[in-house]
Amino acid sequence: MSEVVLSQKAYIKMVFHAAKYPHSAVNGLLLGSKSNKTEVVDAVPLFHQCLYVTPMNEIALIQVESKAANDGLQIIGYYAASENFYDNTIDKVPAIKIADKIVENNGSAFVVVIDNKSLCMDMKHSGLKAWHSNDGKWAKAKHSLSDSKNTIDAVSLLLQRGAMKELNDFDNFLDNTDNDWTNQNLNFDLKKILAMH
Amino acid sequence: MMNEDLSFSEARDVLRKWRDDNERKSDEVVQVFEYCLADKVKKLGNEKLIILEQVFIASLDCGRIKLAEDCIRVLISEFPESLRIMKLKSMLLEALERYDDALDVLESIIKRDETNAGPRKRKVAILKAKGQIGDAIKEMCDYLKKFMSDQEAWHELCNLYLMEGDYNKAAFCMEEVLLHNPYSHLIHQRLGDIRYTIGGQDNIEIAKSYYAQAIKLNGNNLRALYGLYLCCNHIALSKAQIAKRKEAQKLASWALQKISEITEKSTGKSSNLTGVSALEAAFGNLDIKTN
Repeated sequence: MSEVVLSQKAYIKMVFHAAKYPHSAVNGLLLGSKSNKTEVVDAVPLFHQCLYVTPMNEIALIQVESKAANDGLQIIGYYAASENFYDNTIDKVPAIKIADKIVENNGSAFVVVIDNKSLCMDMKHSGLKAWHSNDGKWAKAKHSLSDSKNTIDAVSLLLQRGAMKELNDFDNFLDNTDNDWTNQNLNFDLKKILAMH
Repeated sequence: MMNEDLSFSEARDVLRKWRDDNERKSDEVVQVFEYCLADKVKKLGNEKLIILEQVFIASLDCGRIKLAEDCIRVLISEFPESLRIMKLKSMLLEALERYDDALDVLESIIKRDETNAGPRKRKVAILKAKGQIGDAIKEMCDYLKKFMSDQEAWHELCNLYLMEGDYNKAAFCMEEVLLHNPYSHLIHQRLGDIRYTIGGQDNIEIAKSYYAQAIKLNGNNLRALYGLYLCCNHIALSKAQIAKRKEAQKLASWALQKISEITEKSTGKSSNLTGVSALEAAFGNLDIKTN
């Protein structure tokens, strides 16, 4: 079974994205370094309005890929949370074709699904499920968080304070270009907050 | 958070604004109510009941069943016979996932008032919550046979078809919505999105026209500009006549110009400049289709 390690930054962004739009499906991309395809360094939240049409997907993938390459990173996975509370498995993931495309380009990919049922203001565990591409199929994969206990405590605390509203996804950027989908400000704040823990 | 510090009249006004704009700010509604209004409900005068209804729905959305029950108790005692309150009751059952009981309530409302659209739409919502998208589509189609001019319903049917990947039918529904709002740039843009997703030369041409119209109606619609750019690139790289390809190429560079004008305004803070150059560099080798 393959295993994926998620950085604090990536994990918090995924959870924030799902929490900011609790009534919508959301999705995004996972970035890793060029050399290590099993460690997710960062996450890029993409959409929450309509996940089923392709044009803005194409634009987002091109832009994220180029930005990632500039930072020495590459797209290594896809994450999503379903609209329906109980849809938390790989066969119900919206727009899974994006993940197929990453496999095509990269040779492999991880899919992380946010388990709607585990999301709350006082998280007990990561609340994620992971899969890895395996010969054209998706096989269950293990996942772990870096500094897991502290990360989960921190994310709960931040959710209670409503910090998820600070996150911008690509849809927010398309609505208003002042909303930065790379979330530089949030990155900066998270660094400070996590250092205090 | 700032919502805690609102005065009584500010809180009342902000709830009224969200109600009028039909915004789904459930979390905020519950917060404003609990911090600013809960102990002064009597002072709300003739707005009291409508605010309780608003808070009721918002609290269901947030899973705050206890608060919802408090609200509906007051409403029921005020209007024991009202169909509108009965619908709220069915929504409470829905939130508790007692779908069969909720359906019973809805059926009894429809029996008493056949022209009542609300409960019929709740039936679709229940099917959707149960994950039975196919059945939800069927129910919605039945509904639209009776209530043809309900554009909100056409929009929802479009979304249901998109979830199922039935793009041609989704496009049909969106065209219905467009008939009601011929000057909405957002609907033109969404139709462009759907046509582009279906793909093929003809659909890309249609998508291009929709995007162009969207931009004509609102020059700042960034999605439409990106969409137009994608369509034109597609046409420029296709086997169309030379003249057509040249024209598409010109239009693509115009769209890109507009895009950089819009994104450059905010590049002081972020790195979107690379975005436009990335588009120029990467174009032509990406063709993904979501399900």
